[in-house]
Amino acid sequence: MYIYLGLFKILPAPAKPASAEPIRPIQSFTVGVRRGGRQRFGHTEGGRCGDRRPFCTPTRNRTAPMGKEESPQVTRRTTRSSSSATVATKTCDPHPLTIKDLVFGEDPISLNDLLSKFPGRRIQILELVRLLGASNSPMLPLFIYGGTSSGKTSIVLQMFRHLNRPFVYSSCRTCYSPRILFESVLNQLLLHRKDAANVYSSAKRCERPSDFVNFLREALSNVINNFKGNSGKLGTKKLVGQADGNMVYLIFDNLELIREWDKSLTILPFLFNLYDILKMPEVGIIFVSNTSPDTYYSNMGYMEPIPVYFPDYTEDDLRQIFMKNQANRKLYSSFLDVVLRSFCRITRRMDELSTAFLPLFQKYCEPLHDLGVVPNEEMKRRLFSHLQPQIAPSLNEVFKVSSQSSPAAESNKETKKKSSRRKLGVCAEIDELDFHMSTSAKYLLISAFLASRNPATLDASLFDSMGGIDSRKRKRKSSQKSLEKKENAEQELLMKGPGTFPLERLLAIFQCLTSVAEGSIDEEEQGDEGLGVQGGDGGLMSDVLLQLSSLCNANFIVKGGSCPLEGSTRYRSTVCEDMALKVARSLKFPLSKYLYRR
Amino acid sequence: MGRENTVEEALNLLRSRLCNPSFVFKPLSDSPDSNYSKLKFIISSSVTEACNNSILLLGPRGSGKIAVLELVLKDLLLEFPDLISVIKLSGLLHSDDNCAFKEISRQLCAEHQLLFSKMASFDDNSQFMIAMLRECGLAHKTIIFVLDEFDLFAQGKQRVLYSLLDAMQSVTSQAVVIGVSCRLDADQLLEKRVRSRFSHRKLLFLPPSKEDLQRLLEHILSLPVDSTISHDYAVEFNAKLQNILADEKFKQIIITYMDSDATVNHLLRFLFRAVSYMDLGSGFLSLENFKTAFSNIQRQPKLECIKVLESLSLFVIQFLLTLGHLSGLDCSILELHILVCMKRLEVKEQNSYNFNSVMKEYKSIRASFQMSEYYAWNICLRAFEHLLQRELICFTDNRGQNQSVEFRPAKLLISSHELQQGLKSYRSCPAILLKLMDREV
Repeated sequence: MYIYLGLFKILPAPAKPASAEPIRPIQSFTVGVRRGGRQRFGHTEGGRCGDRRPFCTPTRNRTAPMGKEESPQVTRRTTRSSSSATVATKTCDPHPLTIKDLVFGEDPISLNDLLSKFPGRRIQILELVRLLGASNSPMLPLFIYGGTSSGKTSIVLQMFRHLNRPFVYSSCRTCYSPRILFESVLNQLLLHRKDAANVYSSAKRCERPSDFVNFLREALSNVINNFKGNSGKLGTKKLVGQADGNMVYLIFDNLELIREWDKSLTILPFLFNLYDILKMPEVGIIFVSNTSPDTYYSNMGYMEPIPVYFPDYTEDDLRQIFMKNQANRKLYSSFLDVVLRSFCRITRRMDELSTAFLPLFQKYCEPLHDLGVVPNEEMKRRLFSHLQPQIAPSLNEVFKVSSQSSPAAESNKETKKKSSRRKLGVCAEIDELDFHMSTSAKYLLISAFLASRNPATLDASLFDSMGGIDSRKRKRKSSQKSLEKKENAEQELLMKGPGTFPLERLLAIFQCLTSVAEGSIDEEEQGDEGLGVQGGDGGLMSDVLLQLSSLCNANFIVKGGSCPLEGSTRYRSTVCEDMALKVARSLKFPLSKYLYRR
Repeated sequence: MGRENTVEEALNLLRSRLCNPSFVFKPLSDSPDSNYSKLKFIISSSVTEACNNSILLLGPRGSGKIAVLELVLKDLLLEFPDLISVIKLSGLLHSDDNCAFKEISRQLCAEHQLLFSKMASFDDNSQFMIAMLRECGLAHKTIIFVLDEFDLFAQGKQRVLYSLLDAMQSVTSQAVVIGVSCRLDADQLLEKRVRSRFSHRKLLFLPPSKEDLQRLLEHILSLPVDSTISHDYAVEFNAKLQNILADEKFKQIIITYMDSDATVNHLLRFLFRAVSYMDLGSGFLSLENFKTAFSNIQRQPKLECIKVLESLSLFVIQFLLTLGHLSGLDCSILELHILVCMKRLEVKEQNSYNFNSVMKEYKSIRASFQMSEYYAWNICLRAFEHLLQRELICFTDNRGQNQSVEFRPAKLLISSHELQQGLKSYRSCPAILLKLMDREV
């Protein structure tokens, strides 16, 4: 079985792959979005700032635009222990949210740390820093886009940690409808937390863009006035955790998902025009999307935001990322020499590569007793020859997470979307069946497969004589014309895919198959009386229907639309031939005999 | 440190100017035949003569319709502080009738210190509006309705437009309806009963001429010499700016950039990017800033960049190439293979194809060229899905949702020319792919 990786943000450090954390229920996610939700996006860097040398003050070069902002760092550093203590208490004892909670909530990091955190993203980070500008300067809307797992969200969030400015982050993945999106933005701005006391309700109820704009304007001007008042009162002295400047940034992540919403035709232009509608220079708007701006064109135009492109990582970038946080860098580097190039030809997505490399590296290390060893040339050769037979097969399994890998992977299966399951769950080319299935379910699967592949008109001739297709019949008509026909039919099969069938046909075929199988069993074991074929069709039928529905749930069989003439539901088998043959082999059932070959 | 502060202050000033449309459009409005003067004349005459009026402001998105209108309204509010109240609606927010009337009543209440009830019904609100129109007419007060995205109000039954314009037919009322739209045929969208009540005044907003553009650039980018920013710095800054503005290369960049879209807002976005690249060390804008901004703002997701390049002068192309911004297609080799296979299927005029046929083609290519690498069916399927996600390919129809991916017919979303350019600029593209692409084999 496959796991659809795109749903999860996978940490780039291969040492801790596949943040096997299942998606949390929406409510707890939005409740904990300030402390819990954000930190999850940080690249496993939670403990890293502690490892830094205590006084590696960032080089204050004159060209760095943020040079001035780094000055309060010394004061912050002395009070870090106290601030981190409050962070720890906050998680267990929720305190009333204050305006300070609009910033990232951890110690700000320097620009150099930010750059070293994200290898291969130097250009993009510097560009973003410049576009965001100094602490009080207004900004036109930005549109950040790039392929999956190219670090867009992490970089934007860490960027705000570095800048220490207030922002509101809402992802259109967790906020899956306009109302939830609007309310999530407002809740954060109004410093509202959903909890048991307010029955997990939002601060404002707002469904329409017009209400949203009114509320948003009010909330934003409150927040901004608050900041202005604070900075006026405090003068030059800054409190710990105090945000810089009086800009507020709204970040909308996963914007591409909005296109599939019901109201996408009005919501998208609205969001893109939000900056012009609000007319507040203190608001910066940042969109983060998977797909390029061209995919958002509609017949209703809008002012295009400023595009910032995050290209896919190059091979060198990937190497740098993989080398981060490695215990034995030399060893891992020699491992990457072996595998990285060939895998890069297939995919350059960090999430997929890191899952593929984890088991491979374990294989690579198998002959070693001491993982801290520095490999020399001879050892590298030995390790390479050990690994080489594994590479080719695993290249073809890049996207597969072996099913016995972890219990977390199993739970992921439950959460992944139905559509993705349909795409992937079907055509597993596994050497042998690695899942359990009852015998009758197997027969049902085979009969569904036959019903999908064979033309309905041939059913009678196939199953009547209990012997499958007569081979003599087929040989007779191999004329020129029929050959052409055969080619056309093959083409059609490729194009159209498996056919649909009504339930009755499936059950009829199923009965034929089981009776044949029963017969063969009876022949072998004469003494054993029939296992209840004649014991009543009724019992069998109800059982079969149950099996059918469980097969449907597993997406081996897909329920299609109903036939307009008959009015009954039609089914379609999505199992590929290899799989069906495998199942048949496990039953010792002669499937190919019943398969109509054109 | 003082110097650094000055530079930062200057940068901040420039950025806030770029984000403030009313500053940008100020200089374009002083001549007597500008839209500003015309609009001001129309509105002020209907205020002073106490009559009803309606106007459409038409022009492409980002040509400053709203900005000019705001300038006019600001001036008029200063001139006749007690005679005008402004109600602003946007088609994006209030195209729904119910919503529109509610918003009108809300703003009227806020304007006249009345208590607004959220519970008021549609009928209450519309009657309230008509009553308010009458009252204001009696008090010789003009209500100005600004309808942004006017074309969106013309959807559905146009009840808002009708009741507004119908109320204005009476002698007692005194209102101006200003529609703002980027659809030039906005008045054709109106129903007959609405159209007959609408005066067909239209103001067209055209892109700025070359001279205006030059003036605009100078207006936006030069620093004031008499402000908190130090005088010497401002003078030096402006001198350098003049050099850049006079530079032929700079003019070339601006002209090519404005080729695709000549509106002012389009220019602003470019300037914003250029200004944010300003070197804080030296503290002056340079031609390099504009070049970098130009190369970064040209997008290349589906290689539109290449199309644009054909029209560019040579130096810009060389510049882009040196920057390495022509990375082209951002796919893995396997994905490129699939794209080329699809391209070949399209050339073969196979009327529709799906993943299975692509795989057939891929296998035949592999067999005939003895390619060493072999990727299994499911790996290719995943690469195919990546392409779908990047929207380089898509399914031809939405039917067959419950069909598996491999059977749904697909099509390419990039032209063969783009694909070819992308392959050529791909860093390590296998030579065989280029050959296959050219149908040499």
